[in-house]
Amino acid sequence: MTAAVANPAGGSGLIRPSTLTKIAGIEVAQAARAQAQVAAGSPDDPNYHVANPGSDFMVDCLKALGYEYVAATPGSTFRGLQESVINFPGSGGPEWLTATHEEISAAMAHGYAKASGKPMAFAVHGVVGVQHAAMGIYNAYADRVPMLLLTANYADGALRNEAAEWDHNATDMLAMLRGFVKYDEQPGSLQHFAESLARAHGLAMTPPYGPVALVLDQYLQEATISGNPAMKPFVPVSPPAADANAVADIAKMLIAAQNPVIVVDRATRTQAGVDQLVQLAEALQAPVVDRLGRMNFPTNHYLWSQLPVAWEADLILALDVGDLFDVVGDVPDITNRKTIMHIKPGTKVISIDAELNVPQANYQDKQRFYQPDYPVAGDSEATLPSLIEAVRRAMPDARRNQNADRANRFKNAFAARRAADANAAAEAWDASPISVPRMVMELWNQIKGLDWALVSQATFQSFWQQRLWDFTKHHNYLGPQGAAGIGYTGPASVGAALAHRNDGIISVSIQGDGDFMFFPGSHWSAAHHKLPLLTIIHNNRAWHEELMFLQVVADRRNRHPERAGIGTTITNPNIDYAKIASGLGVYGQGPISSPGDLGPAIARALAVVKRGEPALIDVVSQGR
Amino acid sequence: MRASALLPFALLGLAVLAGSHLASAQGTAPPPGDPKLGAALWMRDGCYECHGTVAQGSGARVGGTGPMLAPKPLPFSVVLSQLRRPINVMPPYSTAVLSDQDAANIYAYLMSIPAGKSASTIPALSGYLRK
Repeated sequence: MTAAVANPAGGSGLIRPSTLTKIAGIEVAQAARAQAQVAAGSPDDPNYHVANPGSDFMVDCLKALGYEYVAATPGSTFRGLQESVINFPGSGGPEWLTATHEEISAAMAHGYAKASGKPMAFAVHGVVGVQHAAMGIYNAYADRVPMLLLTANYADGALRNEAAEWDHNATDMLAMLRGFVKYDEQPGSLQHFAESLARAHGLAMTPPYGPVALVLDQYLQEATISGNPAMKPFVPVSPPAADANAVADIAKMLIAAQNPVIVVDRATRTQAGVDQLVQLAEALQAPVVDRLGRMNFPTNHYLWSQLPVAWEADLILALDVGDLFDVVGDVPDITNRKTIMHIKPGTKVISIDAELNVPQANYQDKQRFYQPDYPVAGDSEATLPSLIEAVRRAMPDARRNQNADRANRFKNAFAARRAADANAAAEAWDASPISVPRMVMELWNQIKGLDWALVSQATFQSFWQQRLWDFTKHHNYLGPQGAAGIGYTGPASVGAALAHRNDGIISVSIQGDGDFMFFPGSHWSAAHHKLPLLTIIHNNRAWHEELMFLQVVADRRNRHPERAGIGTTITNPNIDYAKIASGLGVYGQGPISSPGDLGPAIARALAVVKRGEPALIDVVSQGR
Repeated sequence: MRASALLPFALLGLAVLAGSHLASAQGTAPPPGDPKLGAALWMRDGCYECHGTVAQGSGARVGGTGPMLAPKPLPFSVVLSQLRRPINVMPPYSTAVLSDQDAANIYAYLMSIPAGKSASTIPALSGYLRK
């Protein structure tokens, strides 16, 4: 690489970009080739090796910001960065993770960030790698999850040597991502890189969180550091919170309401947030309707609910609810797509949401607009402490004295719901294909005594997990994909397992068979890096959601519902997921069709996971 | 969590419908049907997709796919009405895709499904029952 960046004008030092631009391109190429021959044949030349390359400085900056990992499928545009990471002197530098597809890298970073609270960096090849990674980044954007994408190129066309270096370049490399990253930049110097990285990191970690992206000039990576670039110590951004007047107003409204309901989606980021939400709910004795974008509220608490907001509700406090309209209304999937409302006229809606700070762009992930009666552009978790205090301070004794009766009412309702769920779970307990609640409860039976994390979403298991497991800690659940992009579960679970590799938390994932087939290679990454992850394949032998959708359309058109399996089922041949797992270096079992065999299989797999390795069980199961 | 990622299209309105039809339907005997044929139709026509292979339903209150239909299904007239002119987001099954006799066969299958285990006899579930 020295030759490519050597000074074609014949000087002894490496060329600076400012010098290069003054020289006619053809002369540069010819001179560079000549210089390359000289350099290649002269080991004693002081420029034969590159000392102190720019990518070393880039890695120092990543380390300074606390980046522990860089995930990547190899790509020549970031080879300088990769070499600096893998040969980082001493200890404490980022670890390089190997992924078999760029979207796996993105989803790994997605799961890692939700499990650890910190962003992961991932490197993707110029243009083609960015294109591969795009959907994973969009999922993270819609899920308000921070991550740092690093891609690269030769910004200076005169330094590109052949077809691929042109094919993998673009005038505006990150234009294709600009609708779903919070910030992108192509720094022109190492100092510019340090400043852009600090700005990107701060934006990624300011609510609402989100992906950021930088293009690393290959020349800057591979040439010797020039000048004295430096990065100042990073100072986190204080998150936006509701102001004192708004907090006081909201507290008064909550206390005055007869039937206040708290609705949460991505309301908390930490255990402290969960604990504070419990305090607020208990202070008001108000039910918490959990939309499960994150682990917000203990599912074994009598105020927890998944029920739609009751018609009786006269005040809704929505805390970082991504789809506010879906709380108050719906557009059912029927032919006329008519809007219906769930709340009675006059019900007031307070929305505290950091999203209100962020303008909309091309993508429609903000969902349908609903005008709250009291919108607050602020972060829920940052607002909770002052809101709890305001509620406690302003609540009159008469209202506080109602709390015991309210608590009893909610306790009875909660106990009745759990009993009803248990009875419903029993209905097909011995069925084959194995019922979803049987699958879920066999798993629960063996992890409930451990410190565990469900690192997959529960959507496709009809939320049986939340209905019957005791989710009490923030790390117990990470929420869904974000933009409902399939292929997320495997690599995101691997990323989450990475985050929990050394903290004693057992990561379990229930992954759909359709999702698995997008990126089976993610499980190889788990084996390669020895990540403790228990995966259960919810093998309903279909992209089941699409199977149901297609049948609906056939029925509406009055023709052949029995053909809905064409293009939506994964049969003929049935896929042997355990055998694939074994081929990827993962302990695999199955297919398991008999419910009685499932418990022992989970026990065997869990033993493997406790040793620090991944395991997978193929469970032939009901659709939902 | 996004409701748009879910598919709550099943017989969610059935209970409401049952309330209005129950009195008139109670005296109506279901037509003769073949439970084996009904079981095959249940799978062929995709009823299992939302309601499960033994009509156990998904049981979900939000984002669920379909309610439990067996054991002890609602009266045939109610089930048939929901098939032909469904309430809520379940798709319609006209006679062009499901004859009355096929509906009767499916109903016979639903009637043949025995009660599952009681949660009280399952250690993993019994602890959730109210004392």
